[in-house]
Amino acid sequence: MFIGQDITRVDALDKVLGKAAFAHDLTKNNMLFACVVRSSRPHAVLKRIDVSAARALEGVVKIISHEDIPGENLFGAIKKDQPFLAAGRVRYKGEAILIVVAATEETARRASELVRIEYEDLENISDPFLSIQSPVLIHDGGNLLSHRKVIKGDAAKAFESSDVIVENTYSTTWIDHAYMETEAGLGYLDDRGRMVVASSTQNIHYKMKEISRLLAIPPEEVRVIQATTGGGFGGKLDVTVEGYLALAVWHTKRPVFMRYTREESLLAQTKRHPLYIVYKTGARKDGSLTAVEVNIVGDTGPYNSYGETVCLRAAVHATGPYEVPNVLVNSRMFYTNNPVAGAMRGFGVPQLALAHESQLDEIAGLIGMDPLDIRMKNALKRGSLTATSQVLNHSAGLLETLKAIEPAWRERRKERPGSGFGLGCMYYGIGNTGISNPSSCYLTLTPEGRVEMHSGVCDIGQGSDTVLLQILCDALGMEEMGIDLVRGDTDTSYDAGSTSASRQTYISGMAVCDAAQKLKKYLKEQGYYDGKPLKDICRDAADKGVPIFEGYFDPPTTAPDPETSQGAPYATYAFATHMTEVDVDEVTGVCKAVKVHAAHDVGRAINVSNVKGQIYGGVAMGIGLALMEEFIPGKSESFDNYYLPTSMDMPEVEAMIVEDREPTGPFGAKGVGEPALIPQAAAVVNAIYDATGIRMRQLPCDIERLKLALEKDKENKR
Amino acid sequence: MKTIRFLLNGKEASIEVEDNETLLCALRERLGITSVKEGCGIGECGTCTVLVDDEPHYSCLTLASKANGRDIKTVEYLSSSGVLHPLQEAFIRSGAVQCGYCTPAMLLSAYSLLLRNANPDAHDIKEAISGNLCRCTGYIQIEEAIKNAAEICKCNGQD
Ligand code: FES
Ligand code: FES
Repeated sequence: MFIGQDITRVDALDKVLGKAAFAHDLTKNNMLFACVVRSSRPHAVLKRIDVSAARALEGVVKIISHEDIPGENLFGAIKKDQPFLAAGRVRYKGEAILIVVAATEETARRASELVRIEYEDLENISDPFLSIQSPVLIHDGGNLLSHRKVIKGDAAKAFESSDVIVENTYSTTWIDHAYMETEAGLGYLDDRGRMVVASSTQNIHYKMKEISRLLAIPPEEVRVIQATTGGGFGGKLDVTVEGYLALAVWHTKRPVFMRYTREESLLAQTKRHPLYIVYKTGARKDGSLTAVEVNIVGDTGPYNSYGETVCLRAAVHATGPYEVPNVLVNSRMFYTNNPVAGAMRGFGVPQLALAHESQLDEIAGLIGMDPLDIRMKNALKRGSLTATSQVLNHSAGLLETLKAIEPAWRERRKERPGSGFGLGCMYYGIGNTGISNPSSCYLTLTPEGRVEMHSGVCDIGQGSDTVLLQILCDALGMEEMGIDLVRGDTDTSYDAGSTSASRQTYISGMAVCDAAQKLKKYLKEQGYYDGKPLKDICRDAADKGVPIFEGYFDPPTTAPDPETSQGAPYATYAFATHMTEVDVDEVTGVCKAVKVHAAHDVGRAINVSNVKGQIYGGVAMGIGLALMEEFIPGKSESFDNYYLPTSMDMPEVEAMIVEDREPTGPFGAKGVGEPALIPQAAAVVNAIYDATGIRMRQLPCDIERLKLALEKDKENKR
Repeated sequence: MKTIRFLLNGKEASIEVEDNETLLCALRERLGITSVKEGCGIGECGTCTVLVDDEPHYSCLTLASKANGRDIKTVEYLSSSGVLHPLQEAFIRSGAVQCGYCTPAMLLSAYSLLLRNANPDAHDIKEAISGNLCRCTGYIQIEEAIKNAAEICKCNGQD
């Protein structure tokens, strides 16, 4: 048995030895260096670009503009609306305009500073509410990217008959992924003249297709390899360095390396979407929820990236993990000239969790009910209808997570003034929302008598390589890990889809199970389970041509109704409850998270240590989101003024694993990557209220904001 | 350019460096020691940590010329005897490694702590790695690993 065991990660040894080759470490003989010239204006027409001084610098090999693009100058995971290199107009500060290729990195950067650009400024649409009214269009189709609704029952009527109603506005800001490894990669032509790009990425097959369109060559002529990747969290889903590298190699025919500086990564890469949320909740005196009405306005910056995805996912998760009979959600995403917001761990759901969890506590306060009890009363469970009227037929362990927390909650005691306790719950649909998002893989046998797993899944540190191997071993009934992993290379794997939406354990895990069934049948026929050594089977097979065993899984979902979003957008959901204890210093405004209990229904923990690692990491990111992280365009330029949680900021965390097995998942597993983060900020905010009586409705609750709120509160009380 | 000589992971090394060159750059570019990472280049993340005379330093802020005559250690030192150091073992076993980008630096900060303090408590451990950012792990399994390794080192009488 490998499932449920703490199998050590297959990548850990190389990493502790310092041998793992990250994208930053890639190198090749004769390689050149590229860097990008970026816009210093948020919205402008490019009047004139003078590269003469840059070109004259010794060591500069090539300067590439949009005119040098052989194929299509547009990319985007959802919609192709973002140019690789600006063509006549820039729409955000940091947008790529030119690529400079030079003999050294220093020369490339020096040359990029010598480029003179004349801009003619256009109106800077700096927030979504301006975007709504502005006659200036960021794209021809208008400034509204997406509008999604969730309509269930009759919310307006239900409010009329509700005993209590609470209505508030919440807002969140840009968050940077801040993976420790910035975007980087190496491009080159192989012996046959094919384009190869190795990079720090979350999705190799998608990037292969984008490069093929950019260069107007068939996808088979492109090979993308995932280098060891120093974190992703959604930020390496979009094309980053890959397109620039491909262009630079295309024009110079030499290997080219590039990496973003930290400042560049902060300036130019995608961020978490800031959302403005107006939230109205109705309930009866007994605590049962009657209706929820939510208006969400989001800022996606000038390009889609994952804006549509966030718009829809935020909408369908807006009620939180509760039974709400009447729901009306309007979720709208606008283009602006702010940083491009894209995918980040949770796709809008952590922002909504702040709102629904705060609301629930306010309702509980009004009717004099305990926060845990009101959650238990309304919790989604097996047989419940979600906000999209999906019946939860299988795994739905929210109540079990609440029960896991219950003893700690009931026994909580404020040790000192300023201490407080808060709860946060969440549910999260595993995989993409209401669209096909399959994973495929294949297995084969080697002459040495080993099984070879060919996987296109990008392990970005979460441990999917190890988890998939564990699944395969158990699916084959193998006693030891007699499996070779061939991974992260479009030449040797099938498309497994992106490492996002907490989908790889569930979806790619099922694809592996599918392939394993076929291999198992074959091994049975060949006598493996009767004792014939794998080596002999492989030798026999080699004479006839080694067979390939393909695996495939696409989670069963239905497309959301275009008007009401009703339907079954996900095949399964993860559930969680976090309880957080904070200490607030009422004089300085410093809030310290002291202790977190985090209970997660993961279906089945394939690797307990990995699951806990995700929970701890998610808590850390949630602490950052709640208390310190705030990307301010034009101001947040480095970690000097974009604060990340250190070891000193971390609370003690008790991770509790609940296993309500998911029958459609691999050995019952679902996912945990994003769920680990989602309820954390909400739990902190509720704890701050418990400690101080102050409702923080804007994130982050950093020292200044909290201090201001405490001072205001004191004045009001006076 | 000037020539500097120093101990690198216990062996004599000698290289030519520019006056304004950082130790990070010299180690990565001239000596090919890519276990030393650059996460920010300005002393904010700690992924470039190396030991100078057994004390952790950000190599992105240290001039290469300052290494002259000093004892420089990178993560390679920990397994230079051919076996994993208890810290490395513990990092693997405790799940302290996710993406691994911060790992070599974390190991060095931890190693330096154990040299100074064979019995670190939870706070000592937190403090010792507080200059090393990790975006993946939430630090908890790293702290567990350091604690476990400290126990083992004590039993082995190892540094
Ligand atoms: S590279 Fe970040 S501190 Fe040196
Ligand atoms: S393991 Fe990824 S930054 Fe620490």
